Amino acid sequence: MTETTEMLSAPLTFNWTLSYRCNFACDHCYSRDETCPELPTSDILKIVDVLVEQQVPFVNFGGGEPLIRKDLLEVAAYASGRGLNVSMNTNGWLLDDEAAQQLKDAGFKSVGISIDSFEADKHDAFRNMPGSFDRAVSGLDALQKVGLKSTMSSVISRINYQSYHELLDLARAHGVGQVYLHNFKCSGRGFKNREELDLSPNEWQAFYLEALAVKNRTTDLKISFDDPVISSLPDYQEKTMVKGSSCGKLSLHLRPNGDITPCGFIPVVVGNILHDDFATIWYDSPVLKAMRSKSATGKCSGCSAFDDCQGGCTARAFATTGDFNQPDPHCWK
Amino acid sequence: MNKPQRNPEIVWRVEKRRQAEVLKALEAGEDADNRGTVILIQSGMMHQLNLVGGMIWERCDGQRTLVEIADEMATEFAVERSELEADVHEFVTDLIKRGWLIND
Repeated sequence: MTETTEMLSAPLTFNWTLSYRCNFACDHCYSRDETCPELPTSDILKIVDVLVEQQVPFVNFGGGEPLIRKDLLEVAAYASGRGLNVSMNTNGWLLDDEAAQQLKDAGFKSVGISIDSFEADKHDAFRNMPGSFDRAVSGLDALQKVGLKSTMSSVISRINYQSYHELLDLARAHGVGQVYLHNFKCSGRGFKNREELDLSPNEWQAFYLEALAVKNRTTDLKISFDDPVISSLPDYQEKTMVKGSSCGKLSLHLRPNGDITPCGFIPVVVGNILHDDFATIWYDSPVLKAMRSKSATGKCSGCSAFDDCQGGCTARAFATTGDFNQPDPHCWK
Repeated sequence: MNKPQRNPEIVWRVEKRRQAEVLKALEAGEDADNRGTVILIQSGMMHQLNLVGGMIWERCDGQRTLVEIADEMATEFAVERSELEADVHEFVTDLIKRGWLIND
């Protein structure tokens, strides 16, 4: 069948940052130091119309903290009413029982809450917000109470890579169906704090070898990774929709002013969804084209894994070298 | 098997630009059996249907019988009616087995 990137007329998912404002100041945050004008509700609804017209099936609100936007429920209700599958990621601080019910009523299909450690003090310190662990866990319970599907997101870093089993147990105890063990991105504060937080390539390899084995034998919880560098592991069999990073191929990111970037971690604007022709951006953007057809450079040249991993995470390579084609700094090969 | 219906859990879309390219290729006499025109997303996996499969899929709305689907397809393709009906039956049976269609 046709290569995915040739086939799609639009991404499957738009990761949408409605605002970079946040009530937290997490050590690893890619966006905490970003500033960008925000659009009024009327323009946000126009963007929803564009997404519907382009047949984008999934929208995931991120941030910043999405619940800070006063019109989040209105936007979500409009988007879900127009047939979009709407989800969001939150730190959980504002997610009480009433908010959970409102999110369900607005048509959210699922809500993800970020929890970085199973130990409250470590989570709170990492997020620079005392009490945030309890509020996040209570948010998971609120979602379960109203029957809204919850997911849990944990960015793997030095504070949790040896204790993710306990994070999985925490998820189980609070009705979470899916846990995303996100790879650490060297963007924003994550770049500034990477010496302290990021793992070495060999540590990443050891983590993934073990975590993949755990994933394969776990049946009561869905465990997901989003790191293309995994495909260079021997015996990695999982079928993915595309080779390498999915950014710019299956997904795009919207900034608060309607600017489109390949992903939230690559601050390169390829157009504006309100002002530019979407098909021209999708098919003709030199940046997206470059991300879809990477060349093996440096140690990737001649590497047998390149066909599968495509150099690993493009955002990490770009953040550390300014070049999409450079090898992912997490690569252990 | 009466009126097959798409599994509502499956997210799908017609790739219109791709569909137009495939139709053009067919007009030019090219083989386009392996060229996808419709994508289905289920449990994080994406599947593709070719032009004929996609056209059947679009019609599996729980309102049409297999005969009615074959009737509509017959206006699009110059194929023996019995062959077309058999193809539709085979395709729908396969998709019901996969859980992508529900047999109403």
